[in-house]
Amino acid sequence: MNFVETLQMAGKTLLANKLRTALTMLGIIIGNSSVIVMVGLGEGGQRYVAQQLNSLGPNVLFVIPGNEETQRVSRDVIKTLVYADAEAIETQVPTIKATAAELNSRQVVTYKNKNTNINIIGTTPNFLKVRNFEVATGRFFNDLDMKRSNQVVVIGSKLKQKMFGNQNPISQQIKIKNSSFQIIGVLTEKGSNLGVDYDSSALVPIMTSANRIVGKTSPYGLEVTYITVSAQDADSVDAAKFQITNLLRRRHKLVGENDFTIRTQKDALQIVGQISNALSLMLVGIAGISLFVGGIGIMNIMLVSVTERTQEIGLRKAIGATQQDILLQFIIEAIIVSVIGGLAGTGIGIGGLGLISSLGIIDASTSLSSIFMTVGISGAIGLFFGVFPARRAAQLDPIVALRSA
Amino acid sequence: MSTTLMMSDLVNESLDDNSSSQPEIIRLENIFKVYGTGETEVKALNNINLVINQGEYCAIMGPSGSGKSTAMNIIGCLDRPTGGSYYLDNVNVADMNDQQLAQIRNLKLGFVFQQFHLLTQLTALENVMLPMVYAGVKPAERKARAVEALIRVGLEKRLHNKPNQLSGGQQQRVAIARAIVNAPVVLLADEPTGALDSRTTQEVLDIFSELNSTGITVIMVTHETEVASQTKRIVWFRDGEVVHSHLTPEELHHLVSG
Repeated sequence: MNFVETLQMAGKTLLANKLRTALTMLGIIIGNSSVIVMVGLGEGGQRYVAQQLNSLGPNVLFVIPGNEETQRVSRDVIKTLVYADAEAIETQVPTIKATAAELNSRQVVTYKNKNTNINIIGTTPNFLKVRNFEVATGRFFNDLDMKRSNQVVVIGSKLKQKMFGNQNPISQQIKIKNSSFQIIGVLTEKGSNLGVDYDSSALVPIMTSANRIVGKTSPYGLEVTYITVSAQDADSVDAAKFQITNLLRRRHKLVGENDFTIRTQKDALQIVGQISNALSLMLVGIAGISLFVGGIGIMNIMLVSVTERTQEIGLRKAIGATQQDILLQFIIEAIIVSVIGGLAGTGIGIGGLGLISSLGIIDASTSLSSIFMTVGISGAIGLFFGVFPARRAAQLDPIVALRSA
Repeated sequence: MSTTLMMSDLVNESLDDNSSSQPEIIRLENIFKVYGTGETEVKALNNINLVINQGEYCAIMGPSGSGKSTAMNIIGCLDRPTGGSYYLDNVNVADMNDQQLAQIRNLKLGFVFQQFHLLTQLTALENVMLPMVYAGVKPAERKARAVEALIRVGLEKRLHNKPNQLSGGQQQRVAIARAIVNAPVVLLADEPTGALDSRTTQEVLDIFSELNSTGITVIMVTHETEVASQTKRIVWFRDGEVVHSHLTPEELHHLVSG
């Protein structure tokens, strides 16, 4: 009896018992679809985070005040970085392209009778270059605006939509913390990243922000929230990090630990990667358990099936089936059930991922390799859990089997 | 029954008894089948000696527990004797392993059961093809041979019916076609008419007679005297022993009525 015929025979038997076959498949279908969905969510999440980080701007470094220890224990905002640090980095570090300091605060913004509480980012004209932003309409503020502390503002696309609808906002006046600002431009939509929704923010020259909005001055100069730096290319990120560290240590006259932290996208990607890997592993673990349970289901129903089909087994043996023939028949039935169940589960899983994506929750999709993997695994489960019932069937005594009417 | 008849029969039963010119097909020599050990030991078969020649049409009879079914299982290679030798077609099968026995059952023996034992999900044709599947016959040849076997049992119009679309007699005829399709040396039937009414019983027995007339050896276990009396030789079992090995239908009639 060859393999193809065993396959046909198994198919016929499975078709003859549609309900039983469907119930057996159910466990594997559930298991497999959850594996696909979980893995897809994990991969989608990873992709999402990677995208977010990339949209920050290529090869960006963040210089943040305080070291990890002070960041953790300090209750106040740490003020160890000043605007002059940013200027020094800009002029003295050779491996960088541009630097932009940011001085951020939350403020109420008013236009006519509408007001909203948003993030006001005080920054420099370099912001566009460093952070990879573009102006959709109007213009960005320039060095002259900086020098004169002009009360000009560039707004995010969502903020524009909220305050002005389809009206042209350029040259309109809005109030930020009771000062009037003229809108000179609107940024292109970028989405939020790392928790900051730039589309709902407004950008003003950093000097204007310091003078009119935040009003902070310190003996050392203008304190900034953080400094963003773009390195010349991906390879110079590490060099830039090293050079900036040296420069700031010198400027801050440090002997002990750094009073600032430099984060690169690579660091962030690594951390996020570790977290999402752990998450994926957990999800796959959960899905694996459901696959295992599906396998147990196959074994249970096959054991019942062996009992039900005792006479058939006895007859087959009486007309010449060997133990191997019977063993193979039952194992193949189990594998067919689990592989078809696996494929169906994969289909349902992909459908589920499509649904999740189309609902805009997360852009989740699965790779071909994980499809092959899950179908392979479900086949292996069928084999593994099919062996025990199949052995029971193969070892049935034909006389006993035939007489169990 | 008369004691003398019994005694003379026992004496007559000798392995050198070769009254027929036909070659012997089944030879049971000192066959024992023992279940359990020690005090619970039960001798289902107690020193059975039996020879059946090619072309015989033979019924095995006896009361319940006489060992006739056990003997049938051993002849059918479904069970192994505890002791003794069993030559099927001049090959000792008593010591064969499971795989070899499966092959013997497949190629040398044909089985017909009381409950037909057709696979419900297969058509008549597919059921008859099944033994050839296990024999590794090529698919094209399989179909031709299965059709031929079904024609022999008069079911050429029912090739593609499933068992539940056939009457009991028709189902048993499919089972007979399945049993003869691999051209076995012996056709074994275990109460083949037990589940049939008297009219279909006769149909099935006619097929057995017809098959026997073409040279197939037929051995049938039955408890119905009318069925057994249509065979040519009756073997009578009692208490695990063969008490009559060559009863004619007339002698059987005497035995039962006497």
